[in-house]
Amino acid sequence: MNRETTSITSTLRWASRALLLLVIVLVAWWLLFSEKDNHVGLQVDDGINLTPEQIQSVKDIGEWEFLSVRDEELVDTVRKGFLSTDQLVRIYYGTLRLGINMHDVEPGWIEASGDTVTLTLPAVRLLDRDFIDEARTKAFYESGKWTGHDREALYRKAHRMMLAHCLTPANLRTAESNADAQFRRMMKGMGFNHVNIRFKPQK
Amino acid sequence: MRETLLFLSVALALVGSSCSSRKSQEQQSEYVSIDTVPMMVMQIQKCSRLYTAEYHIHKIVTHDDVLKVKGSLFKQDINVRLPLGQRKVAIPMDATLKAYIDFGQMTEKNIERQGEKITILLPDPKVEMTSSKINQQQIREFVGLVRAGFSDEEMTHYEQQGREAIIRSIPNLGIIEMAKENAARTLIPMIEQLGFKEQDITIAFRKDYGQYDIRRILEIKD
Repeated sequence: MNRETTSITSTLRWASRALLLLVIVLVAWWLLFSEKDNHVGLQVDDGINLTPEQIQSVKDIGEWEFLSVRDEELVDTVRKGFLSTDQLVRIYYGTLRLGINMHDVEPGWIEASGDTVTLTLPAVRLLDRDFIDEARTKAFYESGKWTGHDREALYRKAHRMMLAHCLTPANLRTAESNADAQFRRMMKGMGFNHVNIRFKPQK
Repeated sequence: MRETLLFLSVALALVGSSCSSRKSQEQQSEYVSIDTVPMMVMQIQKCSRLYTAEYHIHKIVTHDDVLKVKGSLFKQDINVRLPLGQRKVAIPMDATLKAYIDFGQMTEKNIERQGEKITILLPDPKVEMTSSKINQQQIREFVGLVRAGFSDEEMTHYEQQGREAIIRSIPNLGIIEMAKENAARTLIPMIEQLGFKEQDITIAFRKDYGQYDIRRILEIKD
């Protein structure tokens, strides 16, 4: 009698376990496959807030650009520690503009007589030393913690590299040659058949 | 004996880690810069642009970073803010906008002479952001205890958005009108030196119609 009771109890126990497992499997199947619209995840809004733009200054300028040199530089810095090496790599973008500043012209820089005109233009130079568009910078690789001071150093390094690669005698000559061609075309359009153009020497 | 060995090994580990942190702190003040072969893309372009107006713009780009659980469960929308800490950042940036007249496409047809009178027909000024500068030392970050700091990639992403916001604000700045006035102020003295009188000189502007403008004009007529 006792053996039969034990056997029935054991069977009931296994049956209830099997039933519970079946219920769990059915619920899981329903959650996974029937309700396909279920999705939950962590989200972060990565947009910036609306803030006003302030005009700090307005200037009247007269910069005539004859050659534009667009450059991008991959700049990095490495910090060697005892256990690891940290590295920061960024890509900087800039445009060097070569030309003449009309505020540098001297009185009497244009002499016109009949159908002949003589122009004495200032030397072709870099029009603006702020030529890096830092807001376009791309972060390429970062490991470790870096400060604003480090990023400022990278910016200055990119500035030096762009000056070295782009402000070359060849580019200055090309800009001067283009300035000559442009002014010559303009003066001929105004009716001057003979155009003489001179450039002041570089300082 | 075993306890002594265990104590010694723990002590050695502690001493070793404190040495490494001290050394790394010392070495934090100097960094080795390795000038790897630079990947450089350079584009050189001849042009003829007269920049006549310059605007300096200042903007503080801000971002509030709140972690949320978002989604849909049994057709119920979920949007719960997690009390795990906020992150905030403020990035001051300065940008330079310059308006220019493009003389590259000018031909003799842009210059009309009628006796002693001369009319110069110029294209409408265009505006370009010539440079921008992030004030790296003035960037302020506020990061909750359980959140990680802003990465370089995140910061540059916000800076790019700030740049786009400045560009979108250009039509409201009035830089085009100022550029037109300044162009006349630059060119008229030059043309006077060629022998023309100021009252005989006219500087006129026309719009460069592109595909979109022509399509719009056609739509209005239809």
